[in-house]
Amino acid sequence: MSSASSDIRVVRGVPLRCDPAREPCFTVVDDQTEMIRINDDSEASQREKLSVELNSELQSLEIAAQSLSEFPEAPWELRLGLARQCWDEARHARLASRRLIERGGWKGEFPVINQEWGVVCAVDSLLGRLAIQNRTFEAGSLDSSLELLAWWRRLGDDDTADVLEGIHADEVFHVRLANDWIERMTLDNPRAQLEVAAAMIAVKRRLAMLRSGTESRLKVTVPVNTTDRRAAGFTDDEIAELTRRND
Amino acid sequence: MGLNVEERADSVATFRWVEVRLMEILAAWVPTTPEMEVKLAFGTNIWDAAQHADAFGKRAAELRLPLQHSLEPAPEYIGLLDELAAMSDTDQRVAAFYDVLLPGLRKRFVAYLDTVDTLLDAPTVRIIERILGDVDRILGECEELRAQIPAARPRDSEWVRAFRARDAGIDPIIVYRPHQSSAASPM
Repeated sequence: MSSASSDIRVVRGVPLRCDPAREPCFTVVDDQTEMIRINDDSEASQREKLSVELNSELQSLEIAAQSLSEFPEAPWELRLGLARQCWDEARHARLASRRLIERGGWKGEFPVINQEWGVVCAVDSLLGRLAIQNRTFEAGSLDSSLELLAWWRRLGDDDTADVLEGIHADEVFHVRLANDWIERMTLDNPRAQLEVAAAMIAVKRRLAMLRSGTESRLKVTVPVNTTDRRAAGFTDDEIAELTRRND
Repeated sequence: MGLNVEERADSVATFRWVEVRLMEILAAWVPTTPEMEVKLAFGTNIWDAAQHADAFGKRAAELRLPLQHSLEPAPEYIGLLDELAAMSDTDQRVAAFYDVLLPGLRKRFVAYLDTVDTLLDAPTVRIIERILGDVDRILGECEELRAQIPAARPRDSEWVRAFRARDAGIDPIIVYRPHQSSAASPM
């Protein structure tokens, strides 16, 4: 498949897929600097984290669904895995929404940004999308969510921590889905290997452009979650390389 | 008595084609539906349709077709599903899918059960019985959704009636092929 030019917009010089549909109650922004980030232990900060979680799960659902729709020629077992991921992400969004409401928040309380969708769905290759969304973004959340879990427990909100722990377990399998299929489809297939490599190079450059000027707010190094990355199909060499880059 | 092996294989492979198409339609609707709760319902039901397609696809292999083999339904039914796929208003999407397509498919599944020898074709019967249970759950969830989200309620009951009549008028949806020259396509 290839995205029609009308589906693409440009932000900070980066081609992004046009935003998925959102209700009018949401304020959708284009730039990370327009997001509200509250870095303390306040009630507002907790609701802000749940709002971010909610929109992140919505985007993950939309990315998996869009790939299911746009790559009908993909192997059936892979499509089945993406369909399962759609259900998982829909459940995760419901859980985040439920928790947000229980904590006194509401959908649209904070601005949202659909940058992951924009970056991933601008890529015309399914393998490329799996490499970026599942193997990079979701794998990254395997690392960062451990600290978030600890934060919720420290604040005494075990209900939210339990929800996030359940979501985390599901995400391991989404990363695994990508690792397994990338391995299968790139084996002895130089063209597929190039697709993945090109997508990764492009996304690194695009993310750097999108985040230019916001590094001090966003660049946070978290320890590599060795156990879950291994369960998600990363090799020991890959984990060692990630750990080395963090040092 | 009932359908022979080839006719049952054609039926199962056609049901698979329809479930895959429904999965794809829901998948295309997820990013383009603004209402969050409706988007999440579509996202959930993608997995239901995928599981149904998978079960039919495995059964097809037991009836001498390739694994996960699909056969196109009647052209009129393909056209109806194309119309469904092109709908953009949330209330129309919800009504067409949950008030027309799924109940219509449910009737076709029940008609299949009434046609076959339920002992001879027990594996297909079990699959369809499980799917009927899923369909009932999905329709119940749709009612809960409508109680919560006004945009999911039908605005034009006359349009829904007309679309339902068109769906019901396509019978049968299965096109039995002369198997010696079968040109079925994997999907």
